[in-house]
Amino acid sequence: MDISFSPDEQRFRAEVRTWLHANVPTDKRPLNAADAIGFDKAWQRIQFDAGWAGISWPAAYGGRGLSLIQQVIWYEEYAVAGAPWIGANFVGINHGGPTLIANADEDQKRYHLPRILAGEAIWCQGFSEPGAGSDLAGIRTRAHVDGADLMVNGSKLWTSFAHVADFQELIVRTEEGSSRHKGLSWVICDMRAPGVTVRPIQKMSGQIEFCEVFYDDVRVPLQNVVGGLGAGWSVAMSTLGFERGTGFIADQVKLSGEVEALIDRAKASGRIKDDRVAADLGLLRAEVAALRAMTYRNVSQVERTGQPGAEASVIRLFTAELGQRIERMAVTLMGEAILDFRYGDDDAVHDYLRGFAATIAGGSAQIQRDIIGERLLGLPRSR
Amino acid sequence: MNLHPDDDQDALVSATTDWLTRHMPLDQARARPAGLWRGLADMGWTAMTASEASSGLGLDHASEALVFAELGRFLAPVSLLSSALAARWCDVSDRTALALATEGDAVRVLDGGGAGYAVATSSDEATLIFVPTGLDFQIGLDPTTPQARLISPDTLKTIEGPRPHRHLTLLAAAFGVGVADAARDMAADYAKLREQFGKPIGSFQGVKHPCADMAVRCAVARSQLCYAACALDEGAPDAGFHVAAAKRLADLAALDNARANIQVHGGVGMTDAASPHLLLKRAHVLHFIAPIDPLGLIGGDVGQNGASRD
Repeated sequence: MDISFSPDEQRFRAEVRTWLHANVPTDKRPLNAADAIGFDKAWQRIQFDAGWAGISWPAAYGGRGLSLIQQVIWYEEYAVAGAPWIGANFVGINHGGPTLIANADEDQKRYHLPRILAGEAIWCQGFSEPGAGSDLAGIRTRAHVDGADLMVNGSKLWTSFAHVADFQELIVRTEEGSSRHKGLSWVICDMRAPGVTVRPIQKMSGQIEFCEVFYDDVRVPLQNVVGGLGAGWSVAMSTLGFERGTGFIADQVKLSGEVEALIDRAKASGRIKDDRVAADLGLLRAEVAALRAMTYRNVSQVERTGQPGAEASVIRLFTAELGQRIERMAVTLMGEAILDFRYGDDDAVHDYLRGFAATIAGGSAQIQRDIIGERLLGLPRSR
Repeated sequence: MNLHPDDDQDALVSATTDWLTRHMPLDQARARPAGLWRGLADMGWTAMTASEASSGLGLDHASEALVFAELGRFLAPVSLLSSALAARWCDVSDRTALALATEGDAVRVLDGGGAGYAVATSSDEATLIFVPTGLDFQIGLDPTTPQARLISPDTLKTIEGPRPHRHLTLLAAAFGVGVADAARDMAADYAKLREQFGKPIGSFQGVKHPCADMAVRCAVARSQLCYAACALDEGAPDAGFHVAAAKRLADLAALDNARANIQVHGGVGMTDAASPHLLLKRAHVLHFIAPIDPLGLIGGDVGQNGASRD
């Protein structure tokens, strides 16, 4: 075991750092998706043009084909440089794209992957429904074959960026009378197709970022089915695998910076003299260090065995809850100033309110604990 | 960068676990065989990082930490920690007890049966002290760690600098990771077997989720332990912080997991005959070995995420 980077990796780091230093946008990213879409696309385009998009994606589809460790270095430098959150490109870059790489046919990959990397195509995720949250297999949005198309009817919920997206990774029930994991298909839905209606939902942080989506006889060409009709569940699981894997490295580095900033602020304000505050901050610093170590271990395991360990779900849960502890500490240190928060403010209170999503979206903390108990510890199934 | 054990380390760990399973099972931690120490020494565990010239194994801290986590999992004698220090820093290859500072000029000597010396450390020095024969070792809280008080001990040797104390901090953290692992596995094994309401209790989320939390604490503490061991091996400027962070997280993991394990076991978990309380009591002992001041973790600069560490 060692924690040092090779001379090549250090050169790569220096190159990344230099480029980011010169190119990271100086403007702040707007809070609401509709206002931020132009910002997100332009920043993604700048990275793509300079060859920094899709560092570990295959070169044939516009990526760089570099190692996972180089990807880690990129994310680390990205966060240290204070580069903006990936925003509306999140779904395309972090799960739509990787799912296509793993499951799509050649035409689908050649069309979509370069557009995702270039920031030309914004993707959203159509998984959750009013009756299918943690119980994702309870999906009821249905589709039947009509000529060369699937005809989709139903609705999806909590779909981030649906109102600004070009495409959606959509899971529908394509086998009539099927239940649970069977008879589902993973399709690429054009968000501008007739019959798609999007209704944005405001969050308790004031942000307008996720939506309700309705499908009324929406035609999706059969050639947009990924992985074959009826294979939707296994394709969807590979997507969640990416979401639970290494997509959190930038977050992890960002958390480290936030804890250091909190310690500095507590020292400046004198709150550090409160022993409980000092002890809590010390523990957060230790936990953020451990999160980096866990990420490194996971990456090392992928490099060695080709797949993330069962500990990926541990990293996911720990990152989410640690982030919430840090956000809560930030508002604790603010004192009564928390009461002055208003919708539109982009401050620690906003991050605190927004942060509740971390243990709900992409698999709730309760589901993560089920997964850890069952797959890591071998406990019998709860459901 | 590679924080995954290599093939040699995997082999070392599995050989360790095999030996411990056969020769010192956890449920017999209160009645260790008389010749146990000889066996531990023959396996090389008393001098893993001491140089080969002074009859050690000459291994790195990363390998040592992995093995000590296994030793901790089986509630190995606490004097393995101090003997590792004595071999590495004092050129003493005999069994050496661990001395903890207490009030005034007295020290609390842990696990000193048959030991002629003890090691005491502070953040800036380590001392080798003389342990007279016939010292009266008694069982206190932890049935697996006999202890005695020694007033005004004679100092035989002083080693300046923070390195011995960091070494002890790392090894005690490894022992804590082992305790946390043992508690997690004991709880999960019991939750698979014990049935209530016609089902194994591990199928209930009220039991499963605390077990999952135990697994999270183990993964967190073990990851930081590996990082800290590598930081020590490389002489990283922030090694002191990383070792302290590892100990703090291992202390919490050991204690919280030991407590949760008792809860999962229910009534039997509260008995003297069952093993869960042995883990709890060992966790409390480890807390006082190279203790971490929770306020101390916010001092100094920490290299942020590799990025600043060029």
